[in-house]
Amino acid sequence: MLLYNVRLAWKSVLRHPVLSGLIVAGIALGVGVATTFVTAYGALSSDPIPGKSGDLFYVRLDSWDPAAPFSSSRPGPPQQITYRDLRGILKTGIPLRQTGMFKSRMYVYPNASNTVGDRPFQQQVRLAFSDFFPMFDVPFRYGSGWDKTADERAEQVVVLSAALNDRLFGGADSVGKTVRVANRDFRVVGVLAPWRPKVLFYDLTQNPNAQPEDLFMPFNLVEPMEVRSNGNIQSWSGPDSDDFVERLHNTEAVWLQMWVELPTEAQRQGYKSFLDAYALEQKKASRFQRPLDNRITPVLELMEEWEAVPAQAKSLAAISLLFLVVAALNLIGLFLGKFLARAPIVGVRRALGASRRAIFLQHLVECELVGLIGGAFGLLLSFGGLALLNRVYRVISGTEGFFQLDATMVMTAILLSLAAGALAGIYPAWRICSIPPARHLKNQ
Amino acid sequence: MEFGPIFRALTRNRARFFLIVAEVALTLAIVANCATLILSARAEISRPSGFDDEALLAVSTTPFAEHLAVEEAKAQRVAADLAGLSAIPGVESASNTNFLPWRGGGTTMALQRPGSGQSRNPDDEIGAQFYSADPALAETLGVSLVGGRTFTEEENQVDTSVFVLQRTTPILISRVLAERLFPEGAALGKTVQPGEGSGEGEFTIVGIFDRFYNPMGESSEVVVIFPGRSDMMGAGMDYLVRVEPGKSSAVAREVEAFLLRAETGRNVRVRTIPEMRGQYHSQDRLLVASLNGVMALLVLVTSLGIVGLTAFSVAERRRQIGTRRALGATQGAILRYFLLENWMVTSLGALLGIALAIGLNVGLVNFTDAARLEWQVVAAGVFLLWTIGLGAALGPALRGARIAPAIATRNV
Repeated sequence: MLLYNVRLAWKSVLRHPVLSGLIVAGIALGVGVATTFVTAYGALSSDPIPGKSGDLFYVRLDSWDPAAPFSSSRPGPPQQITYRDLRGILKTGIPLRQTGMFKSRMYVYPNASNTVGDRPFQQQVRLAFSDFFPMFDVPFRYGSGWDKTADERAEQVVVLSAALNDRLFGGADSVGKTVRVANRDFRVVGVLAPWRPKVLFYDLTQNPNAQPEDLFMPFNLVEPMEVRSNGNIQSWSGPDSDDFVERLHNTEAVWLQMWVELPTEAQRQGYKSFLDAYALEQKKASRFQRPLDNRITPVLELMEEWEAVPAQAKSLAAISLLFLVVAALNLIGLFLGKFLARAPIVGVRRALGASRRAIFLQHLVECELVGLIGGAFGLLLSFGGLALLNRVYRVISGTEGFFQLDATMVMTAILLSLAAGALAGIYPAWRICSIPPARHLKNQ
Repeated sequence: MEFGPIFRALTRNRARFFLIVAEVALTLAIVANCATLILSARAEISRPSGFDDEALLAVSTTPFAEHLAVEEAKAQRVAADLAGLSAIPGVESASNTNFLPWRGGGTTMALQRPGSGQSRNPDDEIGAQFYSADPALAETLGVSLVGGRTFTEEENQVDTSVFVLQRTTPILISRVLAERLFPEGAALGKTVQPGEGSGEGEFTIVGIFDRFYNPMGESSEVVVIFPGRSDMMGAGMDYLVRVEPGKSSAVAREVEAFLLRAETGRNVRVRTIPEMRGQYHSQDRLLVASLNGVMALLVLVTSLGIVGLTAFSVAERRRQIGTRRALGATQGAILRYFLLENWMVTSLGALLGIALAIGLNVGLVNFTDAARLEWQVVAAGVFLLWTIGLGAALGPALRGARIAPAIATRNV
């Protein structure tokens, strides 16, 4: 019976090629546009580290100028913390994973064993503690992160991104090999598997859609190498000192990100009280003169607070769903027209004994068939749409193929087109099956 | 005109015409709001900087060779670079400055009027983008000074080897900064101080730039420029190069080749300002492109719908049309009937659409920082829908008008 209905539907589609074309084009456009922008929004707003985002907390301390808040438009502590406070709170007695960090830029020198030419090139570097890798579920292809000893001794070890390892070592296992960075020799301890979180959740202070850095090295190299931040630095007071390390320890400039992993509520409470106790201690030394405002914020909340998802993506997703509504309305009208034009034939079938149910089903099957064909074209369209978005997005974030249609989105598109077919078809199919047969027989 | 009969005919086909009305209304609401988003993004994209963007090249050089860390070597390098750049055919002027327009990001410092230090009020401080530049900056940028002069060669000889900026006396500021520091006017020749925590010193305003726009937070038009070489903080030496009109891409290659030849211990990046500007606006451009696409497709879908429904409406009434024709109606009368019917439905939809558009706009303004709807945009949207409606209905209506009167006499 279903097969028979499908055959009838197919015949009907072929009988009016232009009208069928219009209908299919309508669904295809609706599904294509909606899938494109909902995928884009999903990519930008989905949880970047599912299962763990609730355990990772960003630390902020209000060490800012007593005379004025950090931001006049947005109350709260500074976005980042000072070097001296990072050193202070790292000494917490609470056992936890934690990392302070910042990004910089350094020259990488290809040497004889490398596969690229001789000219050094600049790369983004992140200086962090060994906990960085397990905390953020960073995937490794070869080797691993460094250990606590390397943290303490500021060893010259480095973890390379997959892309940089491809560039320097042709993708081979380079663990144990040497890379020259900023005029020093570093030992490779690990190579990452390709890693591209859609949101750079561990550092939201600048472009939230930037890609991770290409080199990772121990944070404590900051003093011996005199590494300067390539990120945001804000200051309200600091010594005019020529000595890098002295300035580092005394400035009130905020420029470091700090993350802790706190899986239980008790740990969160404990850490929060620790921060407040630290701030009160600092108040005795005439620092932290502002009202006590120390915060630990989980990943998703921070993304929300700092508006890591562009507002435009939200508007576009909303608009594209309205677009789908228009396409569906369109469909109802077209089906209605098509079916009612067939009323005399339906009258004959009904007179010959076809039940209302059979007529209804027959027409619904036709709607679903057209819906699926339209959905298939819609998927093709959304591939095109995402390719276009990717082309422009490459310019913004330097990443190829940022937006990808995944299996869930393909399923969604199929369901969407089935739903569109059903929703658009029910009313017209009901109208056609409820026409009294006699009316259309009279004239024959 | 047959308003009455058309209206009564419409009420008999409520479902079908309700669909067109709803579709037109939603389309108007979406198109008007998309257009509003597009207009505000485009205003941002095409905002003039006040410089001759087309004629400028931004050159950043990043040294890696050890010998370039020495102060004297840097000074010699800059002097030699500038001389060499000026000698390239097609180069009109070159300036050693870390002010590269549209780079996005940079450094701000707080400035205040002198004497306000005692009774310190953070509201008196004005955050300004700050850069260093040699005397050739104004000429290279193509900006005019509304008062005063640029730096002298002598003022430009500043030791930039230390991290902390040496507070030297003369500064150039933008007109907007001058007006904010000295609302009563006559800023030229006055002195200002760095804000609390921004260091010591006293700066004399020796010149004021006219129009100046370089996007950066709240200080896009608020700029202060110090004399001196732009190679501090290990950031490399940057140059702005002004080229003869229309030659920027050819000269860009020359510039890059020359700088790499002159000193191999560095990397060189040459970009045109329109390139940097395009990159700066890439997110807005992505939005505009997406919205344009959505709008065009939406209009397409809606017109497909109108074509389909009018075609059906015509097909359904073949015999009535035949009868009317047989009774003496001209082809023009039939055509007019369908076009008028379409116009009435579209107008009804547009009326509803205006209300929807305002509602949607209120939502967008509240949830994002979208701009308010302008009545001109809505009016243009209504006009667009009328045009599309008539255009889409024309084909089926013409076909209807060509139906022969003899149809009326046939049975089916």
